[in-house]
Amino acid sequence: MNEITTAIRTVPLEHYVFLSFVLFSIGLAGALFRRNTIIILMCLELMFNSVNLLLAAFSAFHSDPSGQVFVFFIMLVAAAEVTVGLAILVMMKRNVDSVDVNQLNRLRW
Amino acid sequence: MELLVLLLIPFLSATLLAVVRPTLAARGIALVSSLATLAVALWLWYRYRGEPVMAVDLDWVPAWGLRFVLGYDGTGLLMVILTAVLFPFIIAAGFKQNLKHPSLVNALLLYAQSFMLGVFTAQNAFLFYIFYELSLLPVFFLLLYWGGERRRAITVRFFIYTLLGGLALLFGIAYCVVQEPTHSADFSALAALHLPLDTQIWLFWALFLAFAIKLPIFPFHSWQPDTYTMAPLQGTMVLGGVMLKMGLYGTLKFVFPIVPEGTAHWREWVIWLSLIGAIYAAVIAFRQRDLKRLVAYSSLSHVGLLTAGLFAWNAYGVSGSLYQAFAHAVLVVSLFYIVGAMKDRVGSSEIAAMGGLKLRTPRLAALFLLVVLNAVALPLTQSFVGEWLMFNGLWQLNGWMAFAAVTTIVLGAIYMFYAYQRVMLGPDKWQLEVHDADGGDHLFLVPLIAVTLVLGLYPAPILDLVNGPVQQMLSTFTVLR
Amino acid sequence: MVSFEQLAHLSWLVPAFPLAGALVNAALRRKLGANGSGALATLLVAASFVVSALLFWSHRPEEHPVEVVTLFDWIHVGGMSIPFAFQIDALSLTMMLIVTGVGMLIHLYSIGYMHDDPRVASFFAMLNLFTFAMLLLVMGANYLITFIGWEGVGLCSYLLIGFWYTNPAYNYAARKAFVMNRIGDVGVVLALALLFHLFGTLDYTAVLGRAGGFGVGNPLIVGATLLLFVGAMGKSAQIPLFTWLPDAMAGPTPVSALIHAATMVTAGIFLVVRSSVLFELAPFTKDVILAIGTATALLAASIGLFQNDIKKVLAYSTVSQLGYMFAALGLGAYSAGMFHVTTHAFFKALLFLGAGSVIHALGGEQDIRKMGGLKGVTKITYITFLIGTLAIAGIFPFSGFFSKDGILANAYAHSPVVYALLLFGALLTAFYMFRLLFLVFHGRYRGDRRPHESPAVITIPLIVLAVLSLGGGLLNLPHVFGGHEPMKHYLATAADGVAGEHLHLEAATEWILMGLSTVLVLLTAWYAYGRFAKRTTLDGEPADMPFLKRLIAEKWRIDELYATLFEKPYGWLSTTLFTFGENKVMTPLMNGVGNVTLRAGKVVRRLQTGNASFYLFAMVAGIIVFLLLTLYGV
Repeated sequence: MNEITTAIRTVPLEHYVFLSFVLFSIGLAGALFRRNTIIILMCLELMFNSVNLLLAAFSAFHSDPSGQVFVFFIMLVAAAEVTVGLAILVMMKRNVDSVDVNQLNRLRW
Repeated sequence: MELLVLLLIPFLSATLLAVVRPTLAARGIALVSSLATLAVALWLWYRYRGEPVMAVDLDWVPAWGLRFVLGYDGTGLLMVILTAVLFPFIIAAGFKQNLKHPSLVNALLLYAQSFMLGVFTAQNAFLFYIFYELSLLPVFFLLLYWGGERRRAITVRFFIYTLLGGLALLFGIAYCVVQEPTHSADFSALAALHLPLDTQIWLFWALFLAFAIKLPIFPFHSWQPDTYTMAPLQGTMVLGGVMLKMGLYGTLKFVFPIVPEGTAHWREWVIWLSLIGAIYAAVIAFRQRDLKRLVAYSSLSHVGLLTAGLFAWNAYGVSGSLYQAFAHAVLVVSLFYIVGAMKDRVGSSEIAAMGGLKLRTPRLAALFLLVVLNAVALPLTQSFVGEWLMFNGLWQLNGWMAFAAVTTIVLGAIYMFYAYQRVMLGPDKWQLEVHDADGGDHLFLVPLIAVTLVLGLYPAPILDLVNGPVQQMLSTFTVLR
Repeated sequence: MVSFEQLAHLSWLVPAFPLAGALVNAALRRKLGANGSGALATLLVAASFVVSALLFWSHRPEEHPVEVVTLFDWIHVGGMSIPFAFQIDALSLTMMLIVTGVGMLIHLYSIGYMHDDPRVASFFAMLNLFTFAMLLLVMGANYLITFIGWEGVGLCSYLLIGFWYTNPAYNYAARKAFVMNRIGDVGVVLALALLFHLFGTLDYTAVLGRAGGFGVGNPLIVGATLLLFVGAMGKSAQIPLFTWLPDAMAGPTPVSALIHAATMVTAGIFLVVRSSVLFELAPFTKDVILAIGTATALLAASIGLFQNDIKKVLAYSTVSQLGYMFAALGLGAYSAGMFHVTTHAFFKALLFLGAGSVIHALGGEQDIRKMGGLKGVTKITYITFLIGTLAIAGIFPFSGFFSKDGILANAYAHSPVVYALLLFGALLTAFYMFRLLFLVFHGRYRGDRRPHESPAVITIPLIVLAVLSLGGGLLNLPHVFGGHEPMKHYLATAADGVAGEHLHLEAATEWILMGLSTVLVLLTAWYAYGRFAKRTTLDGEPADMPFLKRLIAEKWRIDELYATLFEKPYGWLSTTLFTFGENKVMTPLMNGVGNVTLRAGKVVRRLQTGNASFYLFAMVAGIIVFLLLTLYGV
């Protein structure tokens, strides 16, 4: 266990933060601007993972295991979320015969 | 403990009625329940020794200062007695109405009674608010499902409008609780709050708006005539007899102690608005074509006077107003009962469809006349004592206010006697085959008229009840010195 | 022999008897029968009369002028304590005797007059209730007890005017009477509130005792007295609130006699005399009273000249006589006013009952154009009516001569102009009364029914009242006739205003004044005899008359004036406030609350595009804004 934390600490914290920020931004941009729902889901996963990375890094640098607990927690939630998301996706495909998110605009009012 | 019993009797009977839904026994059960409540209320009165009573004190949501505190002083007890006295009559009025689903109707009425008793005994501002809004719910459903023409639109309007006032009240309470050092919402704690004058000036309306709408006073009254006219008879009785007294009581318990300087700032405005409303409604009542609407406007006129008397803010005005609250409750219930009795016989509450009925219903005419005498505040009826005190209270403040208030005795005589004559007197135009007042009508109206006359001749029991608390309350206001 | 104090503690019996009668008659109205209810009502009023008389006889005004009997605390709030109490003194005893005495006779008369009415028990219940209220009015020991009676008599008046309720015109008259009285009552209530504000009590003894602390002409006292007088105007039918009284003749004739002639309408005079101390402090109010009293006396007398309804003539005569009484009060001659109240109660009750007897004899006919020559058929009625006419016209030695002369003498001492006006009014009175007498009883019968004399139950009260009208002058016989004005001295023990009266006229002057008025009245009577005694036809409708006469015959068109000025605009206001103010302004104002919410919703819901990307974008934008705010914001 100690080796992993030591290994993580060999890279400075700023790099983790930077990488995480880049991953998150890519995910966010994808979620905002792509119309394909599958890609949006993937982008969401990307954002989750950027946060996970950040949590793991801080956890190692602060010697506080609770951050890693959160990582597992988030992974669990992400898995659940993806099942629901994919189910919606399937229903969407069946109903409007498309995976374009803009087709799904009947949710207003 | 008795207080909990007082609240629980109607609440549990209502729940019983709502769950079991007996059709035949529903009215009987409700009547017995309301009589039991009356017995408890009279027991409380008998035991009352002039000192404020704190009965129940439980924590509920301490973080918001919300505690379940029940208690009463003379004014609260007066309101409790008023509610307890009127409800047997209100429920008895249903015996002739034959509404659909009597168990639900009576359950709603009893819920309303329970919540209103809660309003009059709550000693915590949040608790008061909860009861205050809860009591609206049963009435809302009563109006929505058993109302007359255009009931949906009118009920929703009434509901939203009163809710708007309630929202302002909630905001006001929350603001006060935040200002209170220990974040307590007990009346005693809030009364000790000395807010700066600027705050009080705007906070007055936040607190008073709900009551102004509930009463209602002049520019906030538009929901009232429609709602009273459309509502089923018992709903109207609840609204006019008891609910509007919540506005009066709330003003007394909330507005005066928490924002005394704000009240002093707005007092004359409120009095003039109320008096304008009293005269305005009395003038309008004169030419009304529908008896029920006429009575609604007459109630509006009386309420204007009540509010003006309350805001006169001296012993005569406040005592008179509270006394008149009782008188008005008895009056409204008996007047609306007569409206209902006429409607049952004639088939419509249009005055044009009546006339000359005294020939066929002399007893009902005599009872109607006795009620009218109370409505025009003839001496030796209950209303006279209240009005006389309020006139004096207003005179202490300003002669012109007293003048404006006193003109209502002329206007009241004009519309009341005109209405009575159009309904009862004159030639028998329509040749309707109607039956005279029967035993049930007598059983309903005679006790109410007796209360009116007895308390008109000997008002001391009620006056003594409110005198102490009113004096005590007024003496705490430094603004008045 | 019981003492006055002991008896005074039983004084509550006086109003209690008629109240009991009212309740019993109302409760058992189907069981008592016409004679039973009438007898009960009459006996109970007689019982009140007996108690009043006993009180009067045991009363020693020099030793014990006033006795206040407190029954219980009525209204007690803070500094206000108003007991339910009676005040027995010279003034209330005088009024009690009039009310119960004349009332008893009129009750007796009603047994005969109302015999065939199906609602006779209700009638007697109301009549008893009236007696009760009137007794409260005169016996009250404070203003508020008096006010109970004050409103109570108004109510009974309303009920009895509209007794025959199937007639809409009668109902209108009843409502008019009540509303006009109520307008006066606004004045009374305000006056009472003001008096309470000033004195902290409403007890007569306390208020009148402390009034001396205020200077003469104190504006508050002037205001209070003016307000009291507004009430008196309403109740006692003075300009401008007099039009209800003639219409009140819609009620049964005994009611007109009791309520609208003998007792209730004198309540205003009673109130002023009761408060005479206050009025003495307010010279301005007294001037107003004098002006209004004189104007009313003349205006009503002028209208009486051309009326053709026997009761309307008497009604306007009542208004006019009330004007005289107020003129007396305005002159500060309270005892003269009260004396006229007393004699007027006798002779006007007599005249109304006589008129009722005539109407009864003719089976309900009230138009004097269809009467005439009745003196042969209805002898007792004729003789008693003649006595009443001589009394009201003020011919020696009838009671009206003394009481009217008292007022005229005071007027002369005050100003010759007032004297001349009041004397002119007296001549008008003599003229229309003799016109009435001659048209009804002399000449040839012009109607088509078969007249008959009334039964004894009707004529006995007439005879008793005739005797009183004849001898009533002895009650206050002036010095020039060797009397000692006993009534004045008696009343002086109760009303300080009476005690302060002073009238200094040479005996010769008084003789001249009396001679002048007597001669002029006799001349008028002779003129009336010449014009009307032999008439076989009468003037037709007002439309055929010359302008001024027509105007007078149409009652100066005051009813029409009030209808145009007040009734119609009020109805219009009521309708307009409802259709415009309520439906076009207030309700939309309230609906505005809902509409604003709806409109706001319409605008804001455009944001809800349903586009998930847009929502996401908005969310992110929001997060960024909050982030920036937290990092760099305020």
